[in-house]
Amino acid sequence: MIKFTLQVRVKQSEGALVRILGVTRRRRFDLLHLTADTTEDGHFLDIQMTVQADRAENTLVRQIEKLEDVSQVEVVEPGDAVSEHRAARFTAC
Amino acid sequence: MKGAEFLVKALEHEGVELIFGYPGGAIMPVYDALLDSKIRHILVRHEQAAALAADGYARATGKVGVCMATSGPGATNLVTGIANAYMDSVPMVAITGQVSTALMGTDAFQEVDIFGITMPVVKHSFLAKTATELPRIVHEAFRIARSGRPGPVLIDLPKDIANTVAAYEFHDDTNEQIAEASAESIARAIALMRESSKPVVYAGGGIGMANALDEFRAFIATTRIPVVATLKGLGALPTTHELALGMMGMHGTKTANHAVQTCDLLVCVGARFDDRATGRLNAFAPNAKVIHLDVDRAEVSKLRRADVPVIGNLRYALKALACKLPNIEPWRRECTTAKETHTWDYDAPGTEVYAPSFLKSLSDRAGDDAIVACDVGQHQMWVAQHFHFNRPSQHLSSGGLGTMGFGLPAAIGAQLAFPSACVINVSGDGSIMMNLQELATLRRYDLPVKIVLFDNRALGMVRQWQELFHDKRYSEVDLSDNPDFCRVAESMGIPAFRVDDRAEVSSAIDRLLAEPGPVLAHVLIHQEANVWPIVGPGRSNSEMLHQHEVAREVTR
Repeated sequence: MIKFTLQVRVKQSEGALVRILGVTRRRRFDLLHLTADTTEDGHFLDIQMTVQADRAENTLVRQIEKLEDVSQVEVVEPGDAVSEHRAARFTAC
Repeated sequence: MKGAEFLVKALEHEGVELIFGYPGGAIMPVYDALLDSKIRHILVRHEQAAALAADGYARATGKVGVCMATSGPGATNLVTGIANAYMDSVPMVAITGQVSTALMGTDAFQEVDIFGITMPVVKHSFLAKTATELPRIVHEAFRIARSGRPGPVLIDLPKDIANTVAAYEFHDDTNEQIAEASAESIARAIALMRESSKPVVYAGGGIGMANALDEFRAFIATTRIPVVATLKGLGALPTTHELALGMMGMHGTKTANHAVQTCDLLVCVGARFDDRATGRLNAFAPNAKVIHLDVDRAEVSKLRRADVPVIGNLRYALKALACKLPNIEPWRRECTTAKETHTWDYDAPGTEVYAPSFLKSLSDRAGDDAIVACDVGQHQMWVAQHFHFNRPSQHLSSGGLGTMGFGLPAAIGAQLAFPSACVINVSGDGSIMMNLQELATLRRYDLPVKIVLFDNRALGMVRQWQELFHDKRYSEVDLSDNPDFCRVAESMGIPAFRVDDRAEVSSAIDRLLAEPGPVLAHVLIHQEANVWPIVGPGRSNSEMLHQHEVAREVTR
């Protein structure tokens, strides 16, 4: 079982968050933690999610990055300082 | 101009000629606008058939298929057809009416969250919120449906938006270019090919979809690598080509499966290591390195790690990878000799019609350009095994989803696309009943589809599995109370005749092909006829069961 954190930027569009969560569940990744907020210009949603699964990170990354409205997907290692910094920024919004 | 007129105008701008659909309350403004359009609407008798006919049209033409239904049950009836297109990467735009925006979320009459329901089975979806954005949405929907790895796109259109009057804004055509594979990946792939002494090409549906037939055939002509095909890859090389070893997988040929299991390099072209093709995955091509060519990065290393991923446009990659491979000559001879040795046996005991033999004769006489749309089950596998295909778009088969009821609507879609082509629907007594109502559509538009209905009075494939893998404990597979299919067809204005002796096969095929309009041949076959060979569930493709081996085990 591996656990990792993903940072995703998606265009604010109908069902954007549900679409990403749907792919995550269908590809058999369990969601452990989620924060999401709209960017200042209102055009995008920034999502940080921690998931665990028996499958490789890339299985999920590749499926999310091909969604039409997703502009960026990045794996943030657990315990990574960047991850904590981003988590703080997200929850503060 | 109203939103509905925007929609229709935008569809015209995308070059849409045909829409398969069924009207109803929420979609009525669009049907009103269609009256003033040059787009032809085909009225099916169940929305599922609208989606499946659009799918068949798209598979046969390579164009985007369009289907339409009203909100609620109309929309939910499309879902199976949308999922079918999604699983087989077929370009489709599905348009659904929706209740007015003020009523959305109130459990209004015929309200259903079709946007949410279809999310797992669409490439993308749109909910129209203003009339002015409709031209952009339609344009985007078509771009997404056909670009990269194709797939279905949903447009949900609330009735008040369809009725809103606004000024039409024109959106220009822009098609995105598919990225080309990196030079580094091409170089690494060529190096692996040159090292290999036993390579096999594993050809999938992506080749036809990428319109890369010429490049694929040139690649094979240069490299001379033997080719095995998935269900959807059949026809990438003509069936009769010396290097075409046939279909791989659960009902594949002995030659194809043996080649894959013993090869040292597998060049996967536009395929996705589906379980029906690979058998037990950890025993699949156990000695092979893998080069995987695909436009969808997410498919590469999803199930089998690729030693060299080649991501991007197949046409470019195949051209770049074509090189001479003199080392593989002995292997090539081994494969082609095996192909010549393991030919199909068309002799079967008894006087009943033997379906493989019927299909072989039909294929020999239907012409090189005949299009076959099949349903799902034993007959589908017999078509894949015994029909000859010169290109993948001749073989319309529900591979990923395995949708019983696909064949008749798909044949309707293909026949409308090619009015003078010989279009054959091969079906079974289980599958035909799933969309039997479409016989009325055949009659309505006088489409000359030839229906071959194999009837074993059973759900044959399930019966076969219960026989082989469930100790002959037959559960809910008996269909001995089938209706009289000839009378059913005749009641809908379709001429029909019955064939129950193999001596009648030749004249039956003559009659079928000579009929100028639609016709149904009701062909009775043995109830216990099975599809051979077969790889059992969870087994490796090295462990194929053949008819004579199973018979021996039973008598032992």
